[in-house]
Amino acid sequence: MPAGEVANIYPAKEQRVVEAYVGEYASGKSEVAINRALFLAAKGRQVTIADLDLVEPFYTLRPIKKVLEAKGLKVIAWDATKATGLGEAGTVILPEARWVLRNPGDIILDIGYGVKGARSLNLLHGYQEVKELRVYAVANISRPVTGTEERIVEYIKSLGRVDGLINNTHLGDDTDVGTVQRGAAVVSDAAARLGLPVIFTSVEEKLAPAVGRIDERGNPVFVLRRYMPGAFW
Amino acid sequence: MTDKPIQGEQRVFMTGNEAVAWAALAAGAQIMYGYPITPQNEIMHYWTRLAPMYGRKFLQTEDEISAGFTTIGGVLAGVKAFTGSAGPGNTLMQEPMSMAEMMRLPTVMVVTQRGGPSTATVIYSQQEVTMTCYGGNGEGFRIVYSTSGQQDLFDYTIKAFNTAWKYRFPTFVLGDGYQAKMREPFVIYDPELRGIEMVKAEPYMGNPGTPGIDRDPAHLRNTYNMEDELLEAVRQIGAAYEKISPEVVEYEQFETGDAKVLLVAHGIVSRAAQGAVKVLRQQGYQVGHFRPITLRPFPGVELKAAADKARHVLLIESSYGQFKKLVTDGIYGCTTPILSYLKPGEGITVEEIVAEAKKLF
Repeated sequence: MPAGEVANIYPAKEQRVVEAYVGEYASGKSEVAINRALFLAAKGRQVTIADLDLVEPFYTLRPIKKVLEAKGLKVIAWDATKATGLGEAGTVILPEARWVLRNPGDIILDIGYGVKGARSLNLLHGYQEVKELRVYAVANISRPVTGTEERIVEYIKSLGRVDGLINNTHLGDDTDVGTVQRGAAVVSDAAARLGLPVIFTSVEEKLAPAVGRIDERGNPVFVLRRYMPGAFW
Repeated sequence: MTDKPIQGEQRVFMTGNEAVAWAALAAGAQIMYGYPITPQNEIMHYWTRLAPMYGRKFLQTEDEISAGFTTIGGVLAGVKAFTGSAGPGNTLMQEPMSMAEMMRLPTVMVVTQRGGPSTATVIYSQQEVTMTCYGGNGEGFRIVYSTSGQQDLFDYTIKAFNTAWKYRFPTFVLGDGYQAKMREPFVIYDPELRGIEMVKAEPYMGNPGTPGIDRDPAHLRNTYNMEDELLEAVRQIGAAYEKISPEVVEYEQFETGDAKVLLVAHGIVSRAAQGAVKVLRQQGYQVGHFRPITLRPFPGVELKAAADKARHVLLIESSYGQFKKLVTDGIYGCTTPILSYLKPGEGITVEEIVAEAKKLF
């Protein structure tokens, strides 16, 4: 199964996709966002991906910006050379990111972690008016702070608007099918308690055949290729 | 509310800063004192999120000088206290850490090295080696563990509390910005289940009984009136440090037995050196790697034994020779030529080390 293949999360051709990925620190927001953007671009769609991480604005998409551009994405992220001197004073939004929602085509937003990160959505011009916008929270139960149904529910409630959950449970190179399925169970139970859908379970390419097209809880499987290990900063 | 933070063992996926916060919880640390600085911040962030769940405390002070001194206050009161910092914050910490050295106080400090000198970068380097080992106006009577990843950060943060309280020397966990922010899988555990007995903390001040009659007075000094008093005090601390050093020293060796080229690296750079040994051995090169885990005390005797057998020592570090000074001092008398690959403030990859090592064949 090639990266990005998934049973039922294809958007219709005329449907615009605007998705924001939020969640806990190191939950996999950037990885999921990148893969989602590349998946859409591979379908011949026009896609813009924006790095809205104001918490650590220079640690996310920046190092792999060129890689992503070469794959046909429009990338709105700080350039290392332009960011000179900003250092850790990480509350600077790239001017063009503020108007990112005015870009034509699909838009994928990689948001910084935690509550502060989720609030940065408010900075986007037209945020309230874009009816296609969906905010998805990424969760990995291998991270103890979001390791149980209880903790996920509590955490998601702190984030403000969330329209769906993504099970991105993994253990890096140590991931096996059991890891993914345990995540599917816990994230699905948390979603049910929150009254939210599980949008998909993300699975790295090499495990995808073993997991199948849907996980044990019936959620669609979205196949990931890992790009973030290349974000060597 | 106050259940054990970690039940049994669990394989997790975390950043290094989180690993430190969980390890401090597991080690029974009761309070963290701190002041924000990148790339250390998430130690504080996670500690402040987790501490209230387990009845632990946090105090944000007005600066690092204060964070260091309040950590000292914590240990004087008999609680396991720790702090964390980086770069210019670590510089400010040296005043209180010198005091801990003089009074032999079991402070625990986690350092996530960032670029230097001065503010430099917030990202990564190995440029806080000299300061962490020998900072302040002291003699380096400290214990410094240089970690090489998440499992190490977890293991050695737990160990640091025991080392500090057992030997009563300020103890440091020396990480870096890469380890702080990178993510990898590792195992967290309740130390008790691994047979690790946590050394109990006890107050230095305010103990029951009449001082001088029921017990010795708590006469903790960092000030001496006369040269000869100071001389005696420092000699005593020095002798105590030298006595415990053989017990405390830690290192790892990889394929050093027949190595013609010995790679010497510490911390995260050791991970790249380990990778390079694998690659080079597969290609038939006789290469080994020596990794000091404790930078203070330094495993000089053991390193010299490995270096004596080699044709070349290739020293690799993300600083402009701070680690090299420890090595040359530690292996004094060794006649094996030392070549160095110094990259202050930037990471070093397996491929770079492989290329450098091949030049020596």
